[in-house]
Amino acid sequence: MTADPLPGGYVLPTFVYRRAPELDGKAKRYPVAVVGAGLAGLTATADLASRGVPVVLLDEDDTVGVRGASSRGICYAQKSLETFVRLGIYDRIAEKGVTWSVGRVLCGDEELYSFDLARGSLSEQPPFINIQQFYVEWFLVDRIDELPVADVRWRSRVTGATAHNDHVRLRVETPDGPYDLEAQWVVDCSGHASIVREAVGITPRAEFGVDRWCIADVRFRRPMRPERWTWMEADFNGGRAVWQHQMADGVWRIDYQMPPDSDPAEISRPEVVRARLQAHLGSDTELEVVWIGPYSYRTQRLDNFRASRIFFVGDAAHVFSPFGARGGNSGIQDAENLGWKLAAVLAGEGSEALLDSYDTERRSAAEHNIRVTSRSARFLAPRSAFERELRKAVASLARSFPFARALVNTGRMSQAFDYWDSPLTTNGGAQVPNVPIRQDDGTTGVLADLLKGPDAPFLVLCFPGSGAPRASSSVRVFAVGEAIDGLPLLSGDRLESLGGSREVLVIRPDQHLAARLIDPSRDEVERAIARARGGGSR
Amino acid sequence: MRTDLNIPDPDAFYEAILQANEDLTTEQSLAFVLRLALVLANQVGDQAALVDAIKAAKQSMLTRTP
Repeated sequence: MTADPLPGGYVLPTFVYRRAPELDGKAKRYPVAVVGAGLAGLTATADLASRGVPVVLLDEDDTVGVRGASSRGICYAQKSLETFVRLGIYDRIAEKGVTWSVGRVLCGDEELYSFDLARGSLSEQPPFINIQQFYVEWFLVDRIDELPVADVRWRSRVTGATAHNDHVRLRVETPDGPYDLEAQWVVDCSGHASIVREAVGITPRAEFGVDRWCIADVRFRRPMRPERWTWMEADFNGGRAVWQHQMADGVWRIDYQMPPDSDPAEISRPEVVRARLQAHLGSDTELEVVWIGPYSYRTQRLDNFRASRIFFVGDAAHVFSPFGARGGNSGIQDAENLGWKLAAVLAGEGSEALLDSYDTERRSAAEHNIRVTSRSARFLAPRSAFERELRKAVASLARSFPFARALVNTGRMSQAFDYWDSPLTTNGGAQVPNVPIRQDDGTTGVLADLLKGPDAPFLVLCFPGSGAPRASSSVRVFAVGEAIDGLPLLSGDRLESLGGSREVLVIRPDQHLAARLIDPSRDEVERAIARARGGGSR
Repeated sequence: MRTDLNIPDPDAFYEAILQANEDLTTEQSLAFVLRLALVLANQVGDQAALVDAIKAAKQSMLTRTP
């Protein structure tokens, strides 16, 4: 691994390209190929490999990030952080990144309201950690390198795909020439302009926003709190919106809203950006501009996130505006949602219906994210005189009346999607908080520790007074708080607060609740597990 | 008059108002908002709260517009 110095002092890795065995006539059919080593592709690869599934990851370049030092997705939500605990990279993210939970919403020089996302949180992970996307990708690559069943192929660009009954054939271009790679399943994480998607004839309809923004990543000496500050109107930005977040290495990410239809080249000229930053941070503040990026946004979503043996994950399946940090975080959730399902099917423990549920569950999540982000986008860029007046009315009422603060929408932060109406869910659907646990041998840890391992296990937690269901293949049964019939015992205040007496919780391998059952029979527990594996009927 | 949040889904409510005004001129939107105020006033059904609400709306127009 060699180092390339980048603006801002970042040092990013270069990964080693290796000649593929297919180029020397040694072809075999792989269980899973993942296309694209962004957040979604790397999470999918790490998840599958951690569950013991042999997986090939194909990526067109040999480093992390795209456009050099671009910070891209910087806010990692609690659900993503909990996933990273299970995948084994959380500690590095927490050490490198900036933990925050307080947000402030301002208008002019007045604070309209603040919120603390940590209030009421039961998880060991904070609501958010801010860190440049390339660091998260780098940590995932390092982790994947430790997993022997993963085969990461750099400088391997997928240029075509053909679907067959029992496999998909990918065309791969490398420095040593092209080859064909066969996989039973393909996980397409190659972004909003996916070649795989195009090769199988799927074209999403895109809607483009007229709103223009410019990112400035910047270092400066003035001490500021690591909080999320958003201005719905900032005097120092011509009365337009501004976002301010701290991330790793003492770099601040500041997003400035620009006039509609601004020229991207003009608004991102270094002198123009510097003047904008000085107006915001003070004319005598010493600045080091790390990265500049103008952007606009688009909204698109596929009608089906599964095309037979190909799954579309992350931006390949859906794109929305960035408000609330829902892009990267939803790609990570997509990948985690699919990982255990594919692993179960490859182990003979899941059905076709289980694979279809990836589309059902994650398309619902994408529809929700599109709805939420579109509302924020519209609040931030009113389309008519009426919409501007309504926003003004809300802002002026918000100063005196708490109810109006709830209508000020500068982004609703990403949360784990609740699969309450999924065909897999008996009664539940929400992410189970990653609470601390103590096992009966004195070992301490978190709930996610129990979901690690090659067999994509379900957890059954039996609260005091409930009967003990049978342990079966890929199901781990525990008593919580009080001993039951020789079951291994878990304890911990926050864990014990998750269920009431005589309740049994069935938790999926992605830490979502499949069922909350009150004093169930053994058959009821087994039916809930079968249903969560795509086997039951509603 | 209550001032804490009592709208179950504020973002959906805001969106519904925007959608109702999408095809209207500003003058038509004024007519819409007046009708909405009257219908909502009848839902409130509390004379003291209505008087307070009128005062509050007026008062918030007099403070500096952000």
